[in-house]
Amino acid sequence: MRELAERALDTATAAGATYADCRIVNRRIQMVSAKNGSIARIELYEDEGLGVRVIAGGSWGFAACSRLDGAGVDASAARAVRIARAGARLNSVPVRLAPVAPVTAEYRTPVGRDPFSVPLDEKVALLLAVDAGMARVAPVAVREASLEVSEEHRLFVSSEGSRIDQTIVESGAGFDAIATSADEVQTRSYPNSFGRHQLCAGWEAIEEMRLAENAERIAEEAAMLLTAEPCPVGMMTVILDGTQAALQVHESCGHPTELDRVFGSEAAFAGTSFLTPELVGSFRYGSEAVTITADATTPGGLGTFGWDDEGVPAQRTVLVDQGVFRGYMSSRETAALLDGASSGAMRADGWSRIPLIRMTNVNLLPGTSSLEEMIATTEEGVYLETNRSWSIDDRRLNFQFGTQNGWLIRGGKRAGLVRNPLYRGVTPDFWRSCDAVAGPAEWQMWGVVNCGKGQPGQLMHVGHGAAPCRFQRVSVGPA
Amino acid sequence: MRSAEETLAIAGEVLDAVPAGEAEVTVVETDSALTRFAANTIHQNVAETELTVRLRLVHEGRTGVAEVRGVEADLPSRLVTAADGARRLTPPAPAAPRLPRPDRRPDQPAAYAAATAAASPEQRADMVGRICGIASRRKLAAYGACETTTSRRSIASTTGLRRSASTTRCSLTVVVRGDDGAGYADRHGADIDAMDAEALGLEAVDTCERNQHATAIDPGVFEVVLAPYAVAEMIAYLSWMGFSALARQEGRSFMRPGERLMDAGVSIVDDATAPNLHPFPFDWEGVSSLPVTLVENGVCAGFVYDTPTAALDGVASTGHALPMPNTAGPLARNLALAAGSGSREDLVAGVRRGLYVTRFWYVRAVHELRTVITGMTREGTFRIVDGRLGAPVRDLRFTQSIVDALGGVAGISRERALEHGDNGVVLAPALHLLRFAFTS
Repeated sequence: MRELAERALDTATAAGATYADCRIVNRRIQMVSAKNGSIARIELYEDEGLGVRVIAGGSWGFAACSRLDGAGVDASAARAVRIARAGARLNSVPVRLAPVAPVTAEYRTPVGRDPFSVPLDEKVALLLAVDAGMARVAPVAVREASLEVSEEHRLFVSSEGSRIDQTIVESGAGFDAIATSADEVQTRSYPNSFGRHQLCAGWEAIEEMRLAENAERIAEEAAMLLTAEPCPVGMMTVILDGTQAALQVHESCGHPTELDRVFGSEAAFAGTSFLTPELVGSFRYGSEAVTITADATTPGGLGTFGWDDEGVPAQRTVLVDQGVFRGYMSSRETAALLDGASSGAMRADGWSRIPLIRMTNVNLLPGTSSLEEMIATTEEGVYLETNRSWSIDDRRLNFQFGTQNGWLIRGGKRAGLVRNPLYRGVTPDFWRSCDAVAGPAEWQMWGVVNCGKGQPGQLMHVGHGAAPCRFQRVSVGPA
Repeated sequence: MRSAEETLAIAGEVLDAVPAGEAEVTVVETDSALTRFAANTIHQNVAETELTVRLRLVHEGRTGVAEVRGVEADLPSRLVTAADGARRLTPPAPAAPRLPRPDRRPDQPAAYAAATAAASPEQRADMVGRICGIASRRKLAAYGACETTTSRRSIASTTGLRRSASTTRCSLTVVVRGDDGAGYADRHGADIDAMDAEALGLEAVDTCERNQHATAIDPGVFEVVLAPYAVAEMIAYLSWMGFSALARQEGRSFMRPGERLMDAGVSIVDDATAPNLHPFPFDWEGVSSLPVTLVENGVCAGFVYDTPTAALDGVASTGHALPMPNTAGPLARNLALAAGSGSREDLVAGVRRGLYVTRFWYVRAVHELRTVITGMTREGTFRIVDGRLGAPVRDLRFTQSIVDALGGVAGISRERALEHGDNGVVLAPALHLLRFAFTS
């Protein structure tokens, strides 16, 4: 493979590219799902191809193909250069890249038990046990459980001399219990919604989820939600569980600190950002309880790797320090516009897409409180668990989230389940109202496997370390 | 790009390697390119070709699936070994699945234009250049993308099914930004030569120039006129939330057969054979996609089916399967909301105090059974005062039941626009709705 990648660089530079890199990616995925007592699908997926990215005439070009032979490589390299030259017709300012030291290196996700070595029948038995647990709760009409394990080999070579081999292993699983009545449908998911929770780890990550042990409890919550009181309306204290805190960080801090959004690269699609460069170092983004980092070295995170897809080493960047906005996730191109160095956040969805600035692991650092302490010191509010819906404007300010369930809090105690909760706010106002974050004992890595960005669309797996956290004077109501 | 014969030959080689049972092979080849621009310059410019082959193997009541993208070495044995290995570990299904037989219907034409298949990076750059030129001459900045895609889907099975069709698509989207506000426009179709880049650029520029220095208004319930961009998003969400037979079978759909759901002026069909709905002749099981009336004069009229949901209801599949097997069920992907009689200006003229919304953004389902969605307005929200478009307003969040909104339709435009989304196409008119809830 390395010879093919080198050939792509040679072909591109011979055609006039002033910079070229080539990624050859092989990915295999095993997916198992169960639905209503039977195995719905066992699917094995394999994917291999190459992408050539060049600068020619001062502009970017990229071409990818799934044909891994000399002819496929030559055609892709030549196509990338032709595309770049076509784009150069409109461009008056040539692309400039922040420097990075060339490296020859390898990285592999630390794995306890290779998830592909786990027999398929063990995976089938796990999902059927989860299904059986949910089936003990009568109003649950639809039961779905699934797991997915993947291994991705990435070879990156560049005309600047980098040669990087990486192997990323992921393991994920989860389940949904859907309860129905004549006038209501309620879903409860575990450990996270939208299919599964996932980590860069081996089979041990799935074992630690204790899926079967939680199946009946979660199904019972779905059934209880059918007749639970609607979420109350008003301004009140909100406590988010770790999964919802992770998504809140993702949408309201992760995306607006992507530097390509600031420079307008996503203006026609994903949007821009309210966090403009003149705010760095002075803007009060949140309360002093709020420190957020982008850290591609966090163990287990879906944004953990050795080098990004431009060959920049994994690193930790402070985005918000005790409430003050401090910096961005960046690429070599965007960092150069600020005369800085890349933060190593360029990631591509496989071989067929260009790298974009993507979240690595955007972590809300642990505080000193605990969930029980937060509840005990809340007079009136709601504790919200597990995301159900999410929406935020194109500058990442006006948001509204729904969760699968809420617990009413009165007088420092849980006072019952409430259904269809929504909360809404404006990003800096919301984070400035954060008065407590739980400590390390309740802090864990969460995985988001459906982060969309770019045209053509890319789905990225990103990580978020988070713990339960509390916010004051939040607008809450029922869906 | 490979021909029908070549892709079906690949499928045939895989089928020949299947030792026993029923098998279905799907071959998809795609060649796509996208030129993306920001601030009147091209900043991302990409192309890709890929071949994906998928095998579904059913034997002794057990199903196994394997899919390969890009790996062409030892393809038949690689796929068969993987799928059969998965199949052997799958417990037998309570009702043994069967693959569809050929339905013998003639292929309807697919949306295809040779000009799109042959589009070059220079051609895309020229189109982008025309849009950026219009913007820069008005001292504005254009952002967007020009995408061309050609793909072929071929399906063959041991039941005798052999189908292949090729389709093209060209999409142009643009946001034009000024000092304090922006405008949006898009066009989608099979034929790049039918794309009017100048008209698109002028539309976005016009909206941008009218949408400068918007002022904030308090949220509340407003009478609205929604442009087709916004209406299409609502209809696509209805499809996702309840037009599938599986959603009804599982008690998750808002659709109740025979019941009036919406205003009598609302009729929605799914028709993958209609020339104006980006047609494609068959679904992911190789079953002919048939027209289905989903809502007729406001009354729930029908659902879309794949083979498993059709078997459960004792009817024939309507040809709306996604890649099998799946837990999502069938999906209506070629939707049209029936046109009305007036112009968009007529709809605006019918509003004394209200809002005009160009497009929605970041729409998500809040409560599927009640069809409640939330999202933001974006790039062109205006007051309507005494039947005329007025000053721009800052973007607002809405949280609204779609079915409730379509229960108060005061007008439907005769002009419709074709919108492409992640899950298919929607042909949508503009709508005048009596009540629409903006929540923050």
